This record gives sequence, C-alpha cells and structure tokens, in this order.
Amino acid sequence: MILVLTSDNAIFFYISWEVMSLLSYFLVVFESEKNESQRAGKLYIIMTHLATAFILVGFMIIYSYTKSFALGSAAAIIPDSIKNIVFVMFLIGFGTKAGIIPLHIWLPSAHPAAPSNISALMSGIMIKTAIYGLIRFIPGCLGVEHSWWGITILALGIVSAVLGVAYALIEHNIKRLLAFSSVENIGIILIGLGISFIALAQNNQLVSSLALTAALLHTFNHALFKGGLFLGAGSIQYATHTRDIEKLGGLIRKMPLTALFVLCFSLAISAIVPFNGFISEWLTFQSLYAFMINGGAGLNILFILAVAALGLVGALAAACFVKLFGFSFLGLSRSEQALRAKEVPLSMNVAMGILSLLCLLFGLFPLVTLSLIDSVIVSLGSSSIFGTLRGGFLIAYYPLEAAGNRISPLVFVFFLIIFIVLILLAARVVGGKYLERRYGTWDCGFEALNPRMQYSATGFAKPIKIVFRILFKPTRQVVMEGDSIYHPKAIQYTTSYTSIFVKYLYHPIISVVKDFAKITKFKIQTGSIHSYLLYIFIAVMAMMLYNRFL
Amino acid sequence: MNNVIYILVQIVVILAVAPLVNGINRKVKALSQKRKGAPPWQMYFDLYKLLKKNAVVSDVSSWIFKAAPYIVFATALAGALLVPVSSKLAGSQIPGDFILLIYTLVLGRFFMMAAALDTGSTFGGMGSSREAMISSLIEPSILVSLFTLGLIARSFSLPEIMMSVQNNGIPLSNPVYIMVFLAMVIVLIAETCRIPVDDPSTHLELTMIHEAMILEYSGRHLAFMEYGAAVKQLIFMTLLVNIFLPTDQLINFSGLLAVLLSLILYVIKIIIVAIVIAMIEIKTVKLKLFSIPNLAALAFILAFIGVLQYFILGGGYA
Repeated sequence: MILVLTSDNAIFFYISWEVMSLLSYFLVVFESEKNESQRAGKLYIIMTHLATAFILVGFMIIYSYTKSFALGSAAAIIPDSIKNIVFVMFLIGFGTKAGIIPLHIWLPSAHPAAPSNISALMSGIMIKTAIYGLIRFIPGCLGVEHSWWGITILALGIVSAVLGVAYALIEHNIKRLLAFSSVENIGIILIGLGISFIALAQNNQLVSSLALTAALLHTFNHALFKGGLFLGAGSIQYATHTRDIEKLGGLIRKMPLTALFVLCFSLAISAIVPFNGFISEWLTFQSLYAFMINGGAGLNILFILAVAALGLVGALAAACFVKLFGFSFLGLSRSEQALRAKEVPLSMNVAMGILSLLCLLFGLFPLVTLSLIDSVIVSLGSSSIFGTLRGGFLIAYYPLEAAGNRISPLVFVFFLIIFIVLILLAARVVGGKYLERRYGTWDCGFEALNPRMQYSATGFAKPIKIVFRILFKPTRQVVMEGDSIYHPKAIQYTTSYTSIFVKYLYHPIISVVKDFAKITKFKIQTGSIHSYLLYIFIAVMAMMLYNRFL
Repeated sequence: MNNVIYILVQIVVILAVAPLVNGINRKVKALSQKRKGAPPWQMYFDLYKLLKKNAVVSDVSSWIFKAAPYIVFATALAGALLVPVSSKLAGSQIPGDFILLIYTLVLGRFFMMAAALDTGSTFGGMGSSREAMISSLIEPSILVSLFTLGLIARSFSLPEIMMSVQNNGIPLSNPVYIMVFLAMVIVLIAETCRIPVDDPSTHLELTMIHEAMILEYSGRHLAFMEYGAAVKQLIFMTLLVNIFLPTDQLINFSGLLAVLLSLILYVIKIIIVAIVIAMIEIKTVKLKLFSIPNLAALAFILAFIGVLQYFILGGGYA
C-alpha cells in the first residue's frame, strides 16, 4: 500500500496497485476453509480486476497522448473529449475500489470475511488509496475544467452516503454493518471532493481548498475511528465468538474497557462533538456554505440537497451506532456466549485505547491535523487556507474558523465539564446525599425480566426500514402453528431484504453475460476440430488483408 | 467580563423559564378540558420533589444509565449558550454556530437513546427506536431551514442571524421566512415530543416515545432528564421567537434597562408561543407512527421551498 502512495510513475503505480489488490485477496480468503470467505474472495477479485481494467485503460489513453508514464500534468496535451472518457474510466476504476454505490457490492462481503485486524486495515486505509487515486490523477493529470465531473462525484457521494448508512442500519452482523458504514463515509468524503472539483472548475481556489481539506480530514478521521471500530468488533468476536448483534448484550459489565472505547468510536463516527468526526463534517458544511454564498442557482439546489443528505446521514449514523453500542454492550445478555464473555487481553485494549484517545485529541485540537493536511494541499498546487483557519494549538480561546464561522471544541468541552460539575453540586445542595436503591427493571408485573423480553436490533431498525422500504424491499414470512390463528402455539417470523442494486443492476448484467457465454459455447465453440481450423484460417487471412490494405 | 454576564444571564433565564413553558402548556390544556389544572409553576415543585427523592436504579443497568441524565442536561445547557435570549447582550459571543448546536443536542440524544437500552426494558428499546426514526426524519429540515437563514444573514452564528433579521424589517412579510418559519414550527413540535408527533402526557407505554425512553428513571435522574428536555424545548422556542418575531430593534437604547426590557419581551413571546403550541396540541390528534414521515416530509418541503425562494428572490425584502 505504501508503494501505491509513493510511486510517481504510472506503470509502477499500476503494478503496486495490482500487488496491493492481489495480496488483499489472500487476506480476504485467509480463513479459506469457510465457504463465506471463498465467495467473498471471488467477488472481491472480480470487482477489483474490473476496477484495475478501467484504470489501465485510463493510463493507456493518457500514454497514447503524452508518450510518457510519468504522473505529471497532461492537461494541455489531451483533447477535451478524451479527457471526459479518461475521467469516467478513473471514476469507475477508483470508485469500485472505494466502494461507492452502485459499485460497492464487494465491500460488505469482503470486509467481514477477512480477520478483524485486516478489515481494519482494508477499511481504514485500502479504500482510501482510491480516494488518493482520484485526487492524484484527476486534478493532477487531467486538470478539472468541467463542472459536471464534480457534480457527478458529488451526486455519487450523496447517494453512497445515504444508502450506505441506510443499509448499515438494518444490518446486524457487526462487520457487515461497519463495511456499509465505510460506504457511507466514502460518500461523505466524495461530497467534499465533489465540491472541491466543482469549485476548481469554476476557478474558486479558496472553496476548492476548503472542501479538499474537509475531504482529506474526513479520510484521515475515518481511518482512525473505523480502524478502531473494526478492532472493537474483533474484540467482541474474540470474547463471544459471534458477530451477530442479536446474540450479544450486557457486555459492558464483562468488558468495560472495550465498551468505553467502542463508545468513543461510535460518538466519533456519528460526528458528535467533541470527537474528530465532527470537525470534518463541520468543514464539509462550511465548504457547502462558502460555495453557496457565491454560487449560481442551479448548483445551489444540488448543494442544498447535499446539506439535507448530510443531515439525514448524520442522524441515521447516530441511530446506527446507538444500535451497535446499545445492543452489544447494554441490557441483558441475549445468549450463552455473551454471558460467558471476558475482557480481552490488555494488548487489544491498548490498541483501541490509543485510537480513541487520538479521536478525542484530534477533535479537541483539530489544527494539528489541519496543518498537516494544508501542506498536502499546497503540494497539490492549491492555495493554502491554513491562514483562514485561524486558531492556536493549545490555547482555548482561539476557535477554528472557516468561511466566517467559528467553533471551538475546547471551549465547548470546558463548558460541558463545568456544567456537569455544577449540576452534581446543585443536586447535592438541593437534594441532599445521593441515595439509590437497586431494583429490577419494570417488567409489567409479569415474571422476572428475561433477555427475550428486550427489544431486538431488528425491532430497533424496523421503523426506519418501513419508512425507507423502497430501498430495501423487505419481505416477511409469518408461519403460525396451532389450531386457530388466534391462539397460535408457535410463531415463526422471518424477515429479509433484497439489495436493489444486486437485483436490478447486477443480475440483469450477469444474465446477459451468461446468455452470451451460452451462445458462444454452442454456436462458436462447438468442439469440432474442423471448425477451429477454419477459424484459424479466417483469422490469418484477415490479418494479412489488414496489413496489406491498411 | 461581558462574556461572564452573558453566560450568567443566559443560563439563569433559560433555567428559570424552561419549566414555566411546560406549566403553561398544561394549564391551557386543563382549561380547555374544563379542568382547573395545576398552577403554571407546578414543574418547579415537581423538580424539587424529585431531587429530594432517592433514585431507584435498575440492577441490569451500567454507568451509562446514571451518566446519561447529567450529560443530557449539560448538553442542553451548553447548547443554550449558543442561542441568545436577548440580542442586547449578544455583543460578546461563545464561539459556535448552529451546526455545533445541533450536534451538541445529538450528543445528549445519543446518550438518552443508549440509556434507554441499558435497562433491558422493552419500552426503552421501543422509545429509543422511534426516537431514532423521528430524529433522522426531522434532521434534514432543521439543517436546511437554518442553512437558509445562515445564507441570508451570511453567517452561521445564531446571534448574527438574529441581528441581521432585526435590521431588515418584519421577517414574516417575506415569503422565504414564512416557509422556513412553518418548517421550524413542525421541527419544534417534533423535537419537543408534542402532539401530533408524541403525547407527553400519555400513560400508555405502547404509545410513548420520549416518555418510554425515560420510563426507568426516578429521583434526581428523572429530574435532570425532564429539566434537560424542558431546556431543549426552550432552545427551539427561543430560535423561533428571536429569529422570526424579533423585538429587540424596538428598543433603541442600550444599558441595563434595555436588557431588562428585551428579556421581558422575550418572556412574553415565549408565553405566547407556549399557548399557541398548547392550542395546536388541543386541536390535533396524535398521528399514527407511520404518518409522521408525511409530516417530516412536509417540513422538509417547506424548508426546501424556502431556500428555493431565497435563490430566486434573494434575501432582501420586497
């Protein structure tokens, strides 16, 4: 992966890209005895090769004009129409790797199949190399001249963010949930990137830099908290041997440290203050605002939709991670395994502890990361905006400022702590000493509370699933046993959903390819040696004629 | 020094007025039912009584359950710092904009939803799940509404939005503001768990949303949960009255008297809005849970039309 990021030559980039993809195939099928891993690996390698093919075509087109594999700017040489084609090639190629919807289908199956530390690496860093590719090649090699490039990326970002989180919400396998949430975050990054490209195309350097900063910061932040969340999922799996949220519960009493860290990551990924996710989300909002202040009406409508999408995504992500945290760590244990869970070894907790501390610190002192990102942006040839992001590293009263708006996470946390202390004091003064009685949860007067009386994660996500049913096409099956439907002895309730992309986009393509394969198999590849000889003869003749006359 | 005064006034006014809103609301509803009802200041006594009581804590729960009331209350107060009750004092501000305000409130909501799952009770999960749905449906409307106001005022800071509105005549004579105002009213009703979205006085667990989440709380924990909800409600009402019904421009002098006068006007406006909301609650019935998306869609459409009008007409006044 490091090779991918450090190469300055198209061939070298391509080779290291391919090595990265192939090596991660072996990591996906690490537990190759499992059927699931093999399927995931197969899907992954097909998708990733499709992506690489598009990137390769892009490179070849560029080469045919520049006659060089150096990754320099080729904006002046390549004609406009070709640029558009190359852009589409790169977008599909890198987009598949990044997992943007509708090219995301490999991601939710490959990430859970790999071991947790590998998923952390894949989700945290590997899909980010695609973002790197987009930034490196599109403004770097092609130059951004058309607004529609940015608009396409922005629209894909909105779709990926909303659908990614919607699918994450109804998913109950922790790692699949996290994989869908990666799709969502890639969407948020692409929203930033899209704004940046649009602004670049309109020669609005300042907004472009601001949006690029937001996108890069979110890329960095996502690596931190998503890596942490995958490690957390790994700890849960290590302790309970299951990834199904429905079988967990009550782990906070068994694994208090893991619970604390996962809570931190959940808050960070839901863009909640004072964690780092909030800063990048805030910057994305600011760049939308900075653009809209001067933008034309047509684009502004798209931008206001992006604002709405970000709001929806933020709230759905919070719901999704309340579900993840609440149903795995809180309440009563829903299975034997969860009941027997023990805290994971210290080494696993230290890794998560460091990451969650970083999430908090970069949230409180965002300028540390922003100064690094600014140097990147300058090296990409955009103008520096660090001067406008006023602020000090450690001094409290120097808020982060962008587009004329200021926030100070540090001041905010300061007030929060003061208020909590004051509230505790007030409660003590007014209410006297705190006395509590431990007693069972209200069980409606029935027998003792049992885990099956709790709400399930499926139930939790159900209202949203019904509201957005058009996305999920949920189906349910109720089987009742007993004499009368009014007095069933047992009820079996199955619910499932179909991925509309697999059903309406991939299945038709696959069936067309299959039909074509069948036709060729029976019509051309008949198995008779005579016809093969004829093919060879025709091919040789055709080549000779081609050379003679053209 | 200015800052200290601002913070003190802000906190004292918000803390003092928040329970009164609930009291007025209940009184109006009682009167409409030909009951006498409790006095408007009943909630102060209730809070005091709850603080004095011992807390019952579920033996299933963890530290999340006990920490949540303090976090909910503290985030509501921290959010309240960003929404000035009187623009006469807003000369010095806390750095923060409405995005910080929204995500601050999300922090409180996150803990409230998690705490509801902590006791292992069915109703907690139910409330939490419904809250998740309603909040995600209503969030785009809040952001688009406030974004529109921010674009007109050319700033996201709430004090500056209020100032810019004051300098521009009557906001509700402008179609942009009318649309955004209507969207914000729906947001207010949904966020503060009022009929037709949620019924704050229901006694049936199955129909509860907010009440179901705090069902297991008692003693001082309950007091802080309820106080936090009241403060959050007042934040949204303050947004409504100070942006759409500005009165501070009428006071053309400054000093202590001006601040007092503007605070009195503020309290009067809040009381009027509280009565209006009570009237809405009396006149409507609670919606079916799956009709709420329609209401949220209405709010979003209103906000969206508002922003479109801004793009077409501009922020100026006709």
